[in-house]
Amino acid sequence: MNLLDIRNLSIELDTPNGRIRAVDKVSLSIKEGEFRGLVGESGSGKSLLAQAIIGVLSDKWHVHADRFHWRGIDLLRLTIDERRALLCRDVAMIFQEPMSCLDPTTLIGDQLSEAIDTSQLSGHFWQRKKQRQEAVIKLLHKVGIKKHNQCINSYPHQLTEAICQRVMIAIALAGRPILLIADEPTATMESTNQGQIFRLLANLNQLKNMSILLISHDLENLTHWTSTITVMYSGQFVEAGTTEQIFNKSMHPYTRALVDSSTKANLQLPTKSRLMTLPGSIPILQHLPIGCRLGPRCPRAQQTCVSAPKVSNFHGHKVSCHFPLIREITKKNSVKHKKVKGIK
Amino acid sequence: MSVLLDVKEITKSFKLKGYWYHKRKFTALSPISFAVEAKKTLAIVGETGSGKSTLAKILVGAETSSTGKIFLNGQLLQSQRFKQRCQHIRMIFQDSGTTLNPSLTIQELLDEPLILNTELNEKQRHQLIRTTLQKVGLLGDHMNFYPHMFSGGQKQRISLARAIILQPQVIILDEALAALDPSLRSQMINLLLDLQQQMGLAYILISHNLGIVRHFSDDVMVMSHGEVVESGKTIEVMRNPQHKVTQKLMMSQNIQLK
Repeated sequence: MNLLDIRNLSIELDTPNGRIRAVDKVSLSIKEGEFRGLVGESGSGKSLLAQAIIGVLSDKWHVHADRFHWRGIDLLRLTIDERRALLCRDVAMIFQEPMSCLDPTTLIGDQLSEAIDTSQLSGHFWQRKKQRQEAVIKLLHKVGIKKHNQCINSYPHQLTEAICQRVMIAIALAGRPILLIADEPTATMESTNQGQIFRLLANLNQLKNMSILLISHDLENLTHWTSTITVMYSGQFVEAGTTEQIFNKSMHPYTRALVDSSTKANLQLPTKSRLMTLPGSIPILQHLPIGCRLGPRCPRAQQTCVSAPKVSNFHGHKVSCHFPLIREITKKNSVKHKKVKGIK
Repeated sequence: MSVLLDVKEITKSFKLKGYWYHKRKFTALSPISFAVEAKKTLAIVGETGSGKSTLAKILVGAETSSTGKIFLNGQLLQSQRFKQRCQHIRMIFQDSGTTLNPSLTIQELLDEPLILNTELNEKQRHQLIRTTLQKVGLLGDHMNFYPHMFSGGQKQRISLARAIILQPQVIILDEALAALDPSLRSQMINLLLDLQQQMGLAYILISHNLGIVRHFSDDVMVMSHGEVVESGKTIEVMRNPQHKVTQKLMMSQNIQLK
């Protein structure tokens, strides 16, 4: 069953020059136990989408959706308070820059014990304090911090960034969530620490069967860990499918360009050769192109691209493009067959 | 090929708080020597705190080295003579948004190094700024804009324009490609490679991303705790990493060269 099922979600912002559609009809579904990556460059609305899911957007943003279900419950019909009560029990989120998200004036231990709900503790009130302490230590062990005493008695600035991010994950795990949304958890970290955090998330996903939505701007860092990927560009849905499909058989010109421009994916390229790249830069929110927003940068753009394309589904591989790259592959195959026949 | 930049036995140590008779020292760099040729790229990789940025600062002249000498084209670079050094060695920083002065237009920003270092008149400076902006893929008319009117990728191009406007020989890229979006990053790599061919620049690239290092650099130097633990041709080092630090870096980024 789908945990989260979003169909055609739009987020709009009122400005002096009229309403701007920051996120335009994006669909996203997460199954139980899925490790999904959400990829998009800056300004693609991926963080907005995550904030809309957990409902922390301020009043000036207007969220519309055709369908917005959480485990079969229609979230759009609930009042904002009911929705928060439901989601804060089941969904947790961790952020970029863990150092700035933790309270710098409070000990790590206190911040962790604050996050533990009283309903999780059994026993009489005089036993609660000890139980809480034990729960804190258990949480720290869960995220792989062995020196729990040292960690509990220190302030955020005394710990390294990777440990801080682990503490953030521990706080998120305190509520025993079903879905964990990680918004660029490793953006400012170096590669060895990045690996540690990704490995921890993958462990949680496999051992605890927790669903994870991992948001990142870089496709090449994700592919090793995720099972499915959704790609967004400038607020529009681009492509979704399994990691294998996205990386090896990408159909959208944008995803193709992302994969081709990645230096890590193209290790066979001769050094110092030119990389494949899209011309131009990412459009700003005030001057979004109509129709398919990739249009001005797309090498395959034609006249029909001024209207937004519909999402088409190829065996679970969803792509939103008028001219997906699939036809070329079939053509090549047919040419090959003809040649073989000719030889015979 | 002749050696362009020759660094000999550079060290850097900081004094820590201590008593008179019990002075303590922190060594950021143990003796380091290397050489860079024109049109070549040297990559420096390592963890945080390994002394990469300290080395970059010493090369560009923002810090003085404790001991050691730097030769550019066989000439000794003295620590006090900034004019000589800043014409030939320029640096691009990680976050281009914060390195550009928000209260100056692009023309004023690019004018500053020209006024300080050259004797061109106003008309010539104007012309040079125009051609430099075109060289990095912007329009000449962009010079009347303020930094906040540009996107992240364009700002990085402006810092590149500021670096190449004095016709330098060495450019130091201190994580200059890390903060860019992937599609802009590949544009920037293409641009840097083109400029290297046109102007005969030597780059010193400081980066975490081994994919970029493999694609971009000729030689690599792996640093750890202020020491060079491994160095050589990029392809050879990455094909057959010897030191533990190198292996760990390669493992963490899932890179395997055959």
